[in-house]
Amino acid sequence: MTNGQFGFFGTDPWGIVIVKVLGIFALLVLLTLFTIWWERRVVSRMQNRIGPNRVGPFGLLQSLMDGFKLALKEEIVPKGVHLAVYWIAPIVSATMAFVAFAVIPFGPVVEMFGTYTPLQLTDFPVSVLYVLAIASIGIYGIVLAGWSSGSIYPLLGSLRSSAQMISYEIAMGLSFVAVFLYAGSMSTSEIVTAQQPVWFAVILLPSFLIYVTAMVGETNRAPFDLPEAEGELVGGFHTEYSSMKFALFFLAEYINMVTVSALATTLFLGGWQAPWPLSLWEGANTGYWPILWWLAKVQIFIFIFIWLRGTLPRLRYDQFMKFGWKVLIPVSIAWILIVATARVVRNEMTISTTQILLSGGIVIALLLVASWLLQARADRKADAKEQEFAEAQARPFDAMAGGYPVPPMPGQQAELTTRRATASTTTQEAIDG
Amino acid sequence: MTFVEANTGEAVVFWICAILSVAGAIGLITSRKAVHSALWMALTMINLAVLYIANSAPFLGMVQIIVYTGAVMMLFLFVLMVVGVDASDSLIETIKGQRWAAIFLGLTLTVVLVWGIGSALAGVPAVGLEAANREDGGNVQGIAHLIFTDYLIVFEVTSALLITAAMGAMVLAHREHWQPKPTQAELSQARFLGAGHPGNLPGPGTFARHNAVDTPGLLPDGTPAEVSIPGALKARGDVQPVDIEDVHAIEEADSL
Amino acid sequence: MNAVVEAVRAVEETPWVMPTLDYKLLAPILIILGAGVVSVLFEALLPRAARRPAQLVLVFVSLVAALVSIIALQGSRSLSGRGALVVDGPGLIMQGTIVIIAILGAMLMAERGLDPSGDAFAARASALPGSEDERQFTARGYFQTEIWPFFLFAVGGMLLFPVANDLLMMFVALEVMSLPLYLLTGMARRRRLLSQEAALKYFVLGAFSSAFFLYGAALLYGYTGTISFPGIAAAVSSTTGQTGLLLVAVALLGAGLLFKIGAAPFHQWTPDVYQGAPTPLTGFMAAAVKIAAFGALLRLFYVALGGMRWDWAPMLWVVAILTMLIGSVIALTQSDIKRMIAYSSIAQAGFILVGVVAATPAGLAGALFYLIAYAFTTIGIFAIIMMVRDENGEATHLSKWAGLGRRSPFVATIFAVFMLSLAGIPLTSGFIGKFSVFTAAIAADDTWLVIVAVIASLIAAFFYLRVVVLMFFTEATDETAEVAVPSVFTTVALAAGATVTVLLGIYPQPLLDLIINAGVFVR
Repeated sequence: MTNGQFGFFGTDPWGIVIVKVLGIFALLVLLTLFTIWWERRVVSRMQNRIGPNRVGPFGLLQSLMDGFKLALKEEIVPKGVHLAVYWIAPIVSATMAFVAFAVIPFGPVVEMFGTYTPLQLTDFPVSVLYVLAIASIGIYGIVLAGWSSGSIYPLLGSLRSSAQMISYEIAMGLSFVAVFLYAGSMSTSEIVTAQQPVWFAVILLPSFLIYVTAMVGETNRAPFDLPEAEGELVGGFHTEYSSMKFALFFLAEYINMVTVSALATTLFLGGWQAPWPLSLWEGANTGYWPILWWLAKVQIFIFIFIWLRGTLPRLRYDQFMKFGWKVLIPVSIAWILIVATARVVRNEMTISTTQILLSGGIVIALLLVASWLLQARADRKADAKEQEFAEAQARPFDAMAGGYPVPPMPGQQAELTTRRATASTTTQEAIDG
Repeated sequence: MTFVEANTGEAVVFWICAILSVAGAIGLITSRKAVHSALWMALTMINLAVLYIANSAPFLGMVQIIVYTGAVMMLFLFVLMVVGVDASDSLIETIKGQRWAAIFLGLTLTVVLVWGIGSALAGVPAVGLEAANREDGGNVQGIAHLIFTDYLIVFEVTSALLITAAMGAMVLAHREHWQPKPTQAELSQARFLGAGHPGNLPGPGTFARHNAVDTPGLLPDGTPAEVSIPGALKARGDVQPVDIEDVHAIEEADSL
Repeated sequence: MNAVVEAVRAVEETPWVMPTLDYKLLAPILIILGAGVVSVLFEALLPRAARRPAQLVLVFVSLVAALVSIIALQGSRSLSGRGALVVDGPGLIMQGTIVIIAILGAMLMAERGLDPSGDAFAARASALPGSEDERQFTARGYFQTEIWPFFLFAVGGMLLFPVANDLLMMFVALEVMSLPLYLLTGMARRRRLLSQEAALKYFVLGAFSSAFFLYGAALLYGYTGTISFPGIAAAVSSTTGQTGLLLVAVALLGAGLLFKIGAAPFHQWTPDVYQGAPTPLTGFMAAAVKIAAFGALLRLFYVALGGMRWDWAPMLWVVAILTMLIGSVIALTQSDIKRMIAYSSIAQAGFILVGVVAATPAGLAGALFYLIAYAFTTIGIFAIIMMVRDENGEATHLSKWAGLGRRSPFVATIFAVFMLSLAGIPLTSGFIGKFSVFTAAIAADDTWLVIVAVIASLIAAFFYLRVVVLMFFTEATDETAEVAVPSVFTTVALAAGATVTVLLGIYPQPLLDLIINAGVFVR
């Protein structure tokens, strides 16, 4: 890639590239270990427990020990797996998780061993698309794991999770469009630069909310962790995996969490740029400091992930898919239309603030009227339902009218069911006999 | 083909990706399992995408991966996995000599294409996309420019194609109901108001002396629950009598 | 980094010139495609009972509006849509014919008087054939009104196809035209498995041929460095020496388009699809797709590749001879009327190709006249096939047509006229068509081709006349089908087809003048 715009990228000496690659690798592995511990501690606190606190200070080394244990465990390969694919699947999953991080900017141009280089492995004109592309290859790991296990639960789990990831990837991709429109670029470093005065999370709030929802679905996390619905599917796609291969899936899942959080930071929260009170300090956005701001922002998202897991119950699968296809996607498309129209109006027409406010006011008024009408209709429906309920309540209630195993409905008549009849006759026979 | 202008990096990328994509294509047609074929095809597509990117067409490369590898091939895999088209192809020819004719015609086409393309490419210098990309300030901007000016009509007409495809899928695959589908609430009401047993059948019970399926469970008052025996056993007359002594014993114990 | 931002800003500050579109030139296409979109909205928003009337009004109003706008364009010769489309005499004539055929085809599709359970389309295409669902939907009077948006999109694609002026536009038009037809083919109300099989065959082979077309387009682009037809023509005429790639490209492109017109050896889909598709659709498709595809073929070979006629003419020679002979000979052995007409359409495609090979203005005019004559005759034929029924729906087996002339002399006579026209008997439109095509070919020194064509016409005349003999000179049996009384829709379509067939046979001069005055393609 030799592109005039991206002068700093693609010109690093080999040594720097290797340092950056190793740095990202180490950071991701450490973040994974930390996130697992953090998740366990936070969830414990939410559930009035203490959580891991034995290994190392505050139990920080717990996940490292768990990792060792997992790696040393006996590996069980079930009969009837498609061996080659069974091997490739976890590798694809974990590799893609790492690779996606190549375009995430951690900071501005800094001096590293005497050369000036951005704190980002690489960047090119379509790097956000690159993240999407790598994520879609990562899904292969899951699908193949489910299929190659040669067992029905993993297969169903993998179908679920890939259907889920593909569906939510659409909403996710659509939420990027508004950002592209405002940033005028699809490269991560330029998007960060474009958020100089205001973050996109502020001006493109709907996009941000859609992205945050989609990112939880995309990573298969609670409350959207249907692929691992234990009651229905055992462990999901990795049921038949053990030891190191299972560890790879686990690693991939947590790295993906970090990746989507990092992407959210980059696209909506100004990337590595210092937030407001800090940005008053001149040096906040220079040198290696931005890595700290970046890490803090990513940790906020990871905390949200954990918070959701500690708080919300799992959705039903069909409701979840309905939400993705019938709510998130249409809403994002409508929002993109609004944003694009606004851009065109601002670029092409000379339009005064009064006119903008006036038309905005009219639109809001129309929306209010529409919502009032809808609300009135919903109220009428609710009233009708209430009335029906009241009528039902008014019917005579006979507590002995049946009611096994739940109490009888209001108005239910006592009738001798076959079950009762047989029960009483057998009792009689038993007593007579 | 000449690689005079390509630097070492590009040459390395080319040879790796070219070999892998051809290997994928060969794997696609030689695999016995449909899923393996799909995977080989995914390999080919990813490598082609890398080649596009190496040729200064990053947008095309990414879209190739997202659309073809991520969506189209994934759909293929889905269908193959759900439908379970897993068995190897039948190798019995329905038309005699078809295989040899197909191989012959395929080879002829290959020879003609290689001859045609090869002869035309001899001595043509590689130009690359550098100049084209610089014209509009970037690859993405260049594509956008072409789509929204020169190829505007084609671009817009493609939407007719997409609408047709989406609606066609709905018409052919969306099963409508000629009566409303029962909701969860209605199903539950039907279950409880109906004559059948609403919940799980009673188990052996606290006072049971047996937990075999052919022995009726005992209700809390000690009476045997006939419903707890599978209908098939009842029909065969395989129901074990409850030891009535036990029942009496329980009743006595109760009365004490 | 700042330099980067400035570079981006600099580009942003010099905005592109937005393309100005001449909406008058695009009007017919925009009307039809726009109506298609509205029609989808109708499906989404209107209550079920209101859909059919709304759709019919929309379809006929938009088709008539498109026809009016085409007539208003008469005499225009210019490019539109930045050179992607071209408006010229032959293109407008083909567009106009397609729209008229579409009006007649829509009438056949709207017919509900013939089948006791409704129209010719399945109540619900998604219900499994023979299932309880299907019975319930049919009994409850459900109708698949989604056929109308499909129909409109197909017409839109057909209008684009003969006026496409670059390879990309032509490919997209080809797909816009074909995809709805694939879908509609699988939606017959009766004999649904046959219909679905036909749809699958049509789709798979169609996709295959599209791939050939695309490959050819890519190679041609690789050779000439442009996809626009004038650009290709310039590059082809200035070419020297190495033409291997060009020949391969032309062969592949030709294969893609010859598939659509049903020329041998790319004709195998035709009989199955003609037989399986709902009959009104078959009529529309047989007539309109042939015009659109021949339009595209003519434009590609005359405009883009006109400079290398001596390279492609031998290929079309072989194809034309094969097509005429295979169509005529195999039609002899058919016992199903729809399959017989399918093979006849293959043979007719061969006759039209004779005009194409000539590569002269006379050849173009002959092919155009032939296409128009053939289209009206064909739609009339399928209107009658729809009406000839027994208790199982349409009676397509030839044995059921025995003695039809005794039972329903009027309808049988009209059908006989159509058969005579296809056979090329004087005083019918088919004769004038064959005559003008053959004279053009002789003028272009393709005498041998014309001799083969005449032999093929003789063979074809045999099976056309066999049907006439069967209807009039055979006793009616218990097997003989009834002719159902259609509603006004089919009656009008049939009357139009019959009138044009006879009128063009007796007094062809106005149409010939129109075609001659339309001139040749814009190069």
